[in-house]
Amino acid sequence: MTVRKRVLTVFAEHAILIALGIMFLVPVVFVALTSVMNSGQTLTGALWPKPWEWSNYQRAFEKAPVASWFLNSLLYAGGSTLFMLVSSVPMAYVLARVRIRFANPIFFAVIVAMLLPPQVIQVPIYVLWAHLHLVGTLWPLVLPHLFGHAFSIFLLRQFFLTIPQEYTDAARIDGNGEWGILTRVMVPMAKPGIAAASIFMFFQSWNDYYGPLLYTSENPDNWPIAYGLASFHGTHSTDWGVIMAVTVLATLPVVVVFFFAQRVFVEGITLTGVKG
Amino acid sequence: MTSTRSLPRPSVAKPRPAMRTRSLLASRLPVWSMMILGLIGLAVFFLYPLLANLYFSFTNYDLAGAPHWTGLRNYVYLFTQDSRVGKAALNTLWFVVILVPVRMVFSLGIGLLLSRRKTARGFWRTVFYLPALVPPVASVVGFVFLFNPGTGPINAVLRHLGITGPLWFNDPALSKPSLLLLGLWMAGDVMVIFLAALLDVPKDQYEACELDGANGWQRLRFVTLPNIRPVLLFSAVTGVIAALQYFTEAAVASMIANGKTGIDAGTDQLLGYPDDSLLTYTQWMYVQGFNSFQLGYASTMAVVLFLIAAAVMAVLLRRAGLFTKAQG
Amino acid sequence: MRATKPATAIPAVALVAALILTGCGIGADEPVARTAPRELTGTIQLWHHYTDREAAVIQSVVRDFERLHPGLHVNVHSGQQDTKITQVVSSGGDVDVMLTNVNSTLGTLCKTMADLAPYMARDHVRAADFQGTFASATAFDDRRCSLPTTSDVYGLYYNKRLLGRAGYHDPPKTLDELGRMALKLTTYNPDGSIRTLGFDPLIGFGQNTSGTVSATSGARWMRGTEATTAASRQWHEILAWQRDLVKKIGYRKLKAFTAGLGDEWSANNPFQTGRIAMALDGEWRVAFVDEQAPHLDYGTAPFPVLAGSGQPYGGGYVSAADIGMSKQSGHKEAAWALVKFLTTNTGAAVKLANGLKNIPTLRRAADSPELEAGPQYRMFIEASKHPGANTSPITEIGATLVATMNDFWTTYQENGGNLDEGLRAVDTDINNALSLRRQK
Repeated sequence: MTVRKRVLTVFAEHAILIALGIMFLVPVVFVALTSVMNSGQTLTGALWPKPWEWSNYQRAFEKAPVASWFLNSLLYAGGSTLFMLVSSVPMAYVLARVRIRFANPIFFAVIVAMLLPPQVIQVPIYVLWAHLHLVGTLWPLVLPHLFGHAFSIFLLRQFFLTIPQEYTDAARIDGNGEWGILTRVMVPMAKPGIAAASIFMFFQSWNDYYGPLLYTSENPDNWPIAYGLASFHGTHSTDWGVIMAVTVLATLPVVVVFFFAQRVFVEGITLTGVKG
Repeated sequence: MTSTRSLPRPSVAKPRPAMRTRSLLASRLPVWSMMILGLIGLAVFFLYPLLANLYFSFTNYDLAGAPHWTGLRNYVYLFTQDSRVGKAALNTLWFVVILVPVRMVFSLGIGLLLSRRKTARGFWRTVFYLPALVPPVASVVGFVFLFNPGTGPINAVLRHLGITGPLWFNDPALSKPSLLLLGLWMAGDVMVIFLAALLDVPKDQYEACELDGANGWQRLRFVTLPNIRPVLLFSAVTGVIAALQYFTEAAVASMIANGKTGIDAGTDQLLGYPDDSLLTYTQWMYVQGFNSFQLGYASTMAVVLFLIAAAVMAVLLRRAGLFTKAQG
Repeated sequence: MRATKPATAIPAVALVAALILTGCGIGADEPVARTAPRELTGTIQLWHHYTDREAAVIQSVVRDFERLHPGLHVNVHSGQQDTKITQVVSSGGDVDVMLTNVNSTLGTLCKTMADLAPYMARDHVRAADFQGTFASATAFDDRRCSLPTTSDVYGLYYNKRLLGRAGYHDPPKTLDELGRMALKLTTYNPDGSIRTLGFDPLIGFGQNTSGTVSATSGARWMRGTEATTAASRQWHEILAWQRDLVKKIGYRKLKAFTAGLGDEWSANNPFQTGRIAMALDGEWRVAFVDEQAPHLDYGTAPFPVLAGSGQPYGGGYVSAADIGMSKQSGHKEAAWALVKFLTTNTGAAVKLANGLKNIPTLRRAADSPELEAGPQYRMFIEASKHPGANTSPITEIGATLVATMNDFWTTYQENGGNLDEGLRAVDTDINNALSLRRQK
């Protein structure tokens, strides 16, 4: 390869990256700019706000119970994450480290539950919650996580497998039972994995639209932000400035968390795919 | 140290059967206590619904009354009479055969570009990954607004360039490709996995290859792809499974592009807009189950979805031996 | 899998059986007390689909009801789509009284509603107290499960200033006139896109549905229990007329224009902002204009009819809101008291009509001197009494009936195609859906 060709290649790759990068950022910029336009301007295809309507953010909170949506999202995502940890960390540990009967069929069931589209089993589960008179509340969204979350179990198990067996053996020799090994050895060593599983669980619940649509759409008091945002359009359809302000608000927490936990995130997502 | 020894070891002590059961129980109790929540979950939220769903699929059931056994009636309706289920299945198929591979190729391309960079790789990775974190509802709301044919900035820019922009989400022929654009924008999750795998490809293999005078395509074909094959397979299968359940993006796009509020129209009249081009299988299932309240029929649709998903999963479980065994 | 199945399947099956047997199947109607209780206490749940200003109207009438019954509290769940209300009732949610649309919902909801006949007999409420189609149409399958609160009539709204500028003094009376005027009233931007539109014929825009638009030709949906639209000359003609008008203006231009319009229910409603000169809309629009565009110079008229179709000019498509109570309600007497108040109390009915500018269904209210009826609104009251007023069938598949035709129509308005084949397919789809619902 000639130097000239090499230089050209590097230049071309740079150009492609920069072009793609701009295309990735453009939607974000447009949405952010629209969020500070007044409602008349948003219907003109304008690109630059004139005037800058910062009050859209204030009006977002006035026009809709955005604060309550945030709280519900926090309850949904936080509750799910907490429950998931309680149920899934021990189970993942057993599947990774303890010899038990039926380990293979149980693990197989976890994998299938993880991969199965949730809609396949939606009807009977809905019927179940309806019989318990819990439709309309956040319980059908949160409570199941107290009984294991297949993807998290899988992810955590993958992480536990990476911890050398010698640590477990040493802890056993030191007289620890299974719970002791889990809490004193595995959990401290698997902190990044647990963090990744927690963040995934949190984001999945935060972003969930289908669950709230099915279970809490009838009760605006229990709308999380993702559902509220989709319905906000319904009642304030052409106030695009305010809609975009709510869109920005819904995204902000996710982005902030990402910047604080970027490493954990990328490691976690890599683990699901690569070491699978 | 001492406490371990005090634990009776069945294999060494060879106690009588009754004793053995009790001690086994004692030693196994902590293990099963660790599993109990998860096992209940598998039974109640996985096995029971699978079986119950199968039963419901043979009934006329609207929850207001008890399920009423109707044999194969729902299956007959699904395969010979429901004119929208075919459209819905085809739309879902579009996402499976177009969205999934295009997303993968696109992610692989970006991954390759980034893997060759020595500087600022973290920065670029963030740029391409960040959109994947944005809540899907927020992304769709943003995209539908940006691509609004009359008032959106994208067509405004095109107008400045003298081009009449297309109808995007309002055109039945372009609504799915518009969602494909959104899908590419959100492809960061796949890209990150690919990038990590690409960085793991042993350098010496490339060097050996280069010595043999291989060109770029051959390097990709004979070194890169074989090395990241498990990752490709994994993301293909999870991508297909995700496409089979494609719901949120399409549903929200329909509702917002439609411009209707759904105050007097039911969700069922908004989903699929324009012209059913975004009506996916799972949306039609949702409409049948929870808008029309034909739970029996929705269960029938679920059984069919299960069979398809199971076939896809069988590929994964067969090809990637990694999953089949929990241990040993 | 094979190893787990036998072990877990047995309890799972037992669980299924137990759940279904103890299921909240909605039982038979209970006997009714011989006299209405003198005092009512407790809290009842009212679910309805109104939002914003209209929800406030309902709320104020509900407050009047609470004043009459100090021991009762009504918890109002507003802005609930009919499908959502159906879902909540069916899944055993806390619903005592529900207010929904007759055409799209009664057919599916009726079986979850209590039979009102014994209450009506006891408290001397007669079907004859109500006027129009919905006195009888609020019963379904020979069960009096609901009563009408108000009805809706669809007509033509026209912008007098825009029409005058184009040299028109009167609204169109036939669809052909409407089409000609629409073309003349449409103006374009330099780039060819639509600036202002005479009339938006697209199915799916605003209140244009297969139900409201086909009513202008008197097209019939069903004979007996079978859909028979393909056999109807009127169906062929109305679709052809609409497709022709869409083509003349340009499908793509219409689509781009429609996509950029403001929300129908907000102050950006395109008729109210003058971007559309004529519109098919319901009588309630009068109240929205009063609030959101008080200076709009507009008139209302019966919607034009298809010449030669046999449909007389003067009526229009009608629909209604109905109210009923859940079979599962634990407060039936209180629920009935609310139903009775909202449907038969003259003051309440007048207040609802005045606030929503819907058509009163209670005869006493329609004749009441307190009904505030300006000329635009008065037109709709007259249209509702006209023999040409018609509605779409109320069936077990509810909104699916009209939706199936909408589906075909939206494809047809874009691509054309074989009309007869299309209508036959619509009939087959509707009949199949009906049969799936009716399966025993």
